[in-house]
Amino acid sequence: MEKEIRGIQLPLSQTQKVRLKKALELLQSLSLKVNVDASVVVADTITVDHEDGVLKGHGTADLNGEVVATICGVVERVNKLVYVRALRSRYKPEVGDIVIGRVVEVAQKRWRLEINYCQDAVLMLSSMNMPDGVQRRRTAVDELNMRCIFEENDVVCAEVRGFQHDGLHLQARSRKYGKLTRGQLLTVSPYLVKRQKQHFHHLEEFGIDLILGCNGFIWVGEHIEATDDMVEDQVNQSDPQVLLPGKNSVSLEEQEKSYTTLETRKYICRAANAIRVLSTLGFNITLEIIKGIIDLSLSMNLDIHDMLGSEFCVLVAEKEAERRSSNKKKR
Amino acid sequence: MGSVKRKSPEEPSPTSTSTAPPLHDCVHHVSYPDGYVHPSSPPPNQAHSEPAKKFPFTLDPFQSQAITCLENAESVMVSAHTSAGKTVVALYAIAMSLRNGQRVIYTSPIKALSNQKYREFKEEFSDVGLMTGDVTIDPNASCLVMTTEIWRSMQYKGSEITREVAWIVFDEVHYMRDRERGVVWEESIVLSPKNSRFVFLSATVPNAKEFADWVAKVHQQPCHVVYTDYRPTPLQHYIFPSGGDGLFLVVDERGKFREDSFQKALNALVPANEGDKRKENGKRQKGLVLGRVGEESDIFKMVKMIVQRQYDPVILFSFSKRECELLAMQMAKMDLNGDIEKDNIEQIFSSAMDMLSDDDKKLPQVSNMLPLLKRGIGVHHSGLLPILKEVIEILFQEGLIKCLFATETFSIGLNMPAKTVVFTNVRKFDGDKFRWISSGEYIQMSGRAGRRGIDERGVCILMVDEKMEPSTAKNMVKGAADSLNSAFHLTYNMILNQMRCEDGDPENLLRNSFFQFQADRAIPDLEKQIKALEEERESIVIEEENSLKDYFDLLEQHKSLNQEVRDIVLSPRHCLPFLQPGRLVSIECPSSDDDLPPIFIEDQLTWGLVINFDRVKSASKDDASVKPEDASYNVDVLTRCVVRKDKIGKKSIKIVPLKEIGEPLVVSVPLTRINTISSLRLYIPKDLLPLEARENTLKKVLETLSRFGEKGLPLLDPEEDMKIQSSSYKKASRRIEALEGLFEKHEIAKSPLIKQKLKVLQRKLELTSKIKSVKKTLRSSSALAFKDELKARKRVLRRLGYATSDNVVELKGKVACEISSADELTLTELMFNGVLKDIKVEEMVSLLSCFVWQEKIHDGAKPREELDLLFMQLQDTARRVGQLQLECKVQIDVESFVKSFRPDIMEAVYAWAKGSKFYEIMEITQVFEGSLIRAIRRLEEVLQQLIEAAKSIGETQLEAKFGEAVSKIKRDIVFAASLYL
Repeated sequence: MEKEIRGIQLPLSQTQKVRLKKALELLQSLSLKVNVDASVVVADTITVDHEDGVLKGHGTADLNGEVVATICGVVERVNKLVYVRALRSRYKPEVGDIVIGRVVEVAQKRWRLEINYCQDAVLMLSSMNMPDGVQRRRTAVDELNMRCIFEENDVVCAEVRGFQHDGLHLQARSRKYGKLTRGQLLTVSPYLVKRQKQHFHHLEEFGIDLILGCNGFIWVGEHIEATDDMVEDQVNQSDPQVLLPGKNSVSLEEQEKSYTTLETRKYICRAANAIRVLSTLGFNITLEIIKGIIDLSLSMNLDIHDMLGSEFCVLVAEKEAERRSSNKKKR
Repeated sequence: MGSVKRKSPEEPSPTSTSTAPPLHDCVHHVSYPDGYVHPSSPPPNQAHSEPAKKFPFTLDPFQSQAITCLENAESVMVSAHTSAGKTVVALYAIAMSLRNGQRVIYTSPIKALSNQKYREFKEEFSDVGLMTGDVTIDPNASCLVMTTEIWRSMQYKGSEITREVAWIVFDEVHYMRDRERGVVWEESIVLSPKNSRFVFLSATVPNAKEFADWVAKVHQQPCHVVYTDYRPTPLQHYIFPSGGDGLFLVVDERGKFREDSFQKALNALVPANEGDKRKENGKRQKGLVLGRVGEESDIFKMVKMIVQRQYDPVILFSFSKRECELLAMQMAKMDLNGDIEKDNIEQIFSSAMDMLSDDDKKLPQVSNMLPLLKRGIGVHHSGLLPILKEVIEILFQEGLIKCLFATETFSIGLNMPAKTVVFTNVRKFDGDKFRWISSGEYIQMSGRAGRRGIDERGVCILMVDEKMEPSTAKNMVKGAADSLNSAFHLTYNMILNQMRCEDGDPENLLRNSFFQFQADRAIPDLEKQIKALEEERESIVIEEENSLKDYFDLLEQHKSLNQEVRDIVLSPRHCLPFLQPGRLVSIECPSSDDDLPPIFIEDQLTWGLVINFDRVKSASKDDASVKPEDASYNVDVLTRCVVRKDKIGKKSIKIVPLKEIGEPLVVSVPLTRINTISSLRLYIPKDLLPLEARENTLKKVLETLSRFGEKGLPLLDPEEDMKIQSSSYKKASRRIEALEGLFEKHEIAKSPLIKQKLKVLQRKLELTSKIKSVKKTLRSSSALAFKDELKARKRVLRRLGYATSDNVVELKGKVACEISSADELTLTELMFNGVLKDIKVEEMVSLLSCFVWQEKIHDGAKPREELDLLFMQLQDTARRVGQLQLECKVQIDVESFVKSFRPDIMEAVYAWAKGSKFYEIMEITQVFEGSLIRAIRRLEEVLQQLIEAAKSIGETQLEAKFGEAVSKIKRDIVFAASLYL
């Protein structure tokens, strides 16, 4: 049953099936069981103590004096606040989240970004640091040159600033936000990425950057040192997207100037595949686990493409079950 | 033009021209961050050879110096007196930014000041906006005037302004030492964008350089300091002794202190006053306010004199709102204005009041004010309606008010000088006691004296009503300005906001704080201190140290046990019946020259005769409720004393042993200084006034003493005579006996020089403990300051579910992030406990008023039952939050934390939310109009924050309710627009 819930679709042999089932059962037995009864579907009544003030949060509504769920998910309670956390849904932004998005439109003084939310997010020109690093008001010239910063289909990393009257606004506080180049964008279900203190990671041993966007967009790319020298970035501006297909403005000269080494590219793919495996299995995606999988694949001398095979997938599930149970024992 | 100065950053470059008087000097420093490389290319703005703004007058050296720094695009800190003209620098910075198409922010500590500055800048530049908690005007303007709090929260929210602002002007930056709000300046400065430049305007602070060093370090950019003591109009300082009728010049315009004149002033203090003044120290001001019956009060005389000598306009500073009003009332008979002026005043006043509704115009404060104003007399304090305050400011600037009674708040901000400044008091109540005005405060307030270009010199008059030491006076009048010291402290809102940012880290903020910077500076000094102390300790060598130490410990033990016994025996409960007149008691003499406590008590004892005893009146009012056993007592004892008079005639009395030279005197000593009570009583003559009688009595005491000789006087036996039966007494006395046995056996006790040796040892031990304590301070300052507190506070946030152990902010934490104008934890808890959900809107508003009201009111009426019930819920929540903080090792006094929420204005706010008129709610409560208005405005701020918070948790009903609350309280006079807008 577990297999179906997770929706894992892999061509498995009989033994693999048994092994996977066993691992998943173990994992389930390890998980906390508090929320088993708390899952609701739309129009389910949520039992509350009406004696004292109940705060009805997201995903709830008042119907004839009863609190009912308006989405499918898990009931969460914080003191007197009751809300429903959706299980698999689009991304629901919160202020301060790190997200990755793809530019869908360059509009007046703003870019519109697809971030897997029910509407496009807005990144104002004024919410970006200027490429020259000067603190000044944005001029009409800046507006005309907006495509020099981001154009359609660029992948951009930003922080959720909050809801304004005209929708969800993003901002780029510092240098480390901005356009992402030379890497891969992966999309997973947002629930797999948990909010953490750090979403930017630098895997030094592989020379790659990993950005876990809260909206389920994950970036794996070549490591770029965040420099204060803003001008340099502008040169890299129109760099070839070596590993991202669908980028057509590639000039040979530039390609030569900044070349991502084969080794780094391999690591990028390895990390990306590790994330794909986790996504297939429906496991939480964290730096620690991704590193574990990369190490596992390396120690097995596995080819990159083999990482997506059933055997490795089952192995990862087993390892994860093992890891969690040993963690639990330690506690 | 400034490039020459840039090459010699270390040496101060005096810029006074030969024609300028020496006072004109300004000092210029530059602080560079470590490893700073000068930009090789000249600053980009060389293209602008034209200054961004021209002034119609010649700039003072410090002004042109500061402007040079601005033109070079480098930060500058300007430290000068209020009247010196710092605003010129701010104006230039704004003009320059506008020219370069950059944004500029001007922050000030007070909303009212922001309004005034907005007005001033708007007239000058037009592209100006204003953002305070109350109003927002044109937030897209290039120059934004705002309060520092708004700027702080803008930076946390990541407003786009943070990316466009090139220059940030912090006015009155010395507010950073404010205990409560100072931290906001530090946060704002640390968080400010790295590429922006700063202009800091400050009163004179001696450590301006230190501040600049800090800014240079935090922002990795050079920061200039321009410091000047210069006053455009020199000051004369006078003293007016109360009861007297003349002024005494104590400091002339050259800054010389005249000792003789000061002495004369003190002698002119009416001596009759001295006696009763001393008795009712707490009610000192009475004499000032009421005056002698049938006579003109001092203040009246003073104003009359000032007017006669044409020293007006005058500002009279006092330190409480009530006193301010009372003093103004004394001026009833005085009229300082002509008919034309009266008409003018009436016209200005009535047109200003036109915006009020008819009901509000009838407010007593409004209707009582006009007659006073027409006579040229004004009052200015924070208890006034904001609109009245502004009218008075305008009238004063127009010169229509000749005599203004103001509180300290009038001394900061806009240029509103007078010819004369009077201090009606030299002491100020600072929360727990009356203290002398500090020199810094004196400088700030006296800065209002002397109008530039009108008066040749300003006059400062100090009304003195009690003897003060010349050194105190000198220090007050001529002392240095207060240092700018960090008042950094942690708040939960700060920690949560930092944790919420991906690259925010509260520890980073701590590391960059001015507090840390100052602490780091102290380290080399402390290390030196430790070294010196250690050397001194090593130099002391003692033979047989171990066994001596052993003996010393025994002595210490013996001493503490004796003390224990003494405390029991001499507790008022036991000893009062025995303190009859004539009883012989032994008293401790204060040790003469040694700072070390004596080793043998016997050395320090003398004898005396009890004459009487009485109870000490404690400061608190509930004196009657204290049981007689618990009160403290003073005993009048006849013994030998030495009386010394110091230069200014202040007496000091010291008890000396009987055989030494001195006068026989009756002195009053606290019960705790009596050591033992003898069982003997001597006869005392009825009249002790003649010296002879006292001398004879003391002779008798000496005779008695010698009669008993070696054995000493027989003492009252605690058990048999005094009937003390407590077990602790018995235990202690048994242990003393055992210890005394040990003394006998101790080998070293017989050593000849034992006393001297013990003294040396004591000194050595003293040094050891001193080293220990210095090392402790060293440790705490080299470690990250506040690190432990941060840990404790994070613990609290975890326990309450605001953040996880991985420092990820949770739902509740996000709500608390939004609340910055009230106690974030208590309010968030209250909200999540559903308290705000079920109550009526008016009740909710009334409850929230407890979060914003801070003034203390004695015997304020209790609110009605349903409100009181709510208040109790609030107190419970607060107590829980406080208790939890205590458990998490945050240093907090739970009860005073709970008491910081005050129900005093609940009724009034309830009525206001119900739609009552303002005069109606003023009848309910006794608070000042202005204070209530401020509280309601702040309440609206809190409600706006709560709307945001409710939005973030998706509670639409609650959000609507907060919105409704805002619309209910935001009306009429309370939110009447400022006249400056």
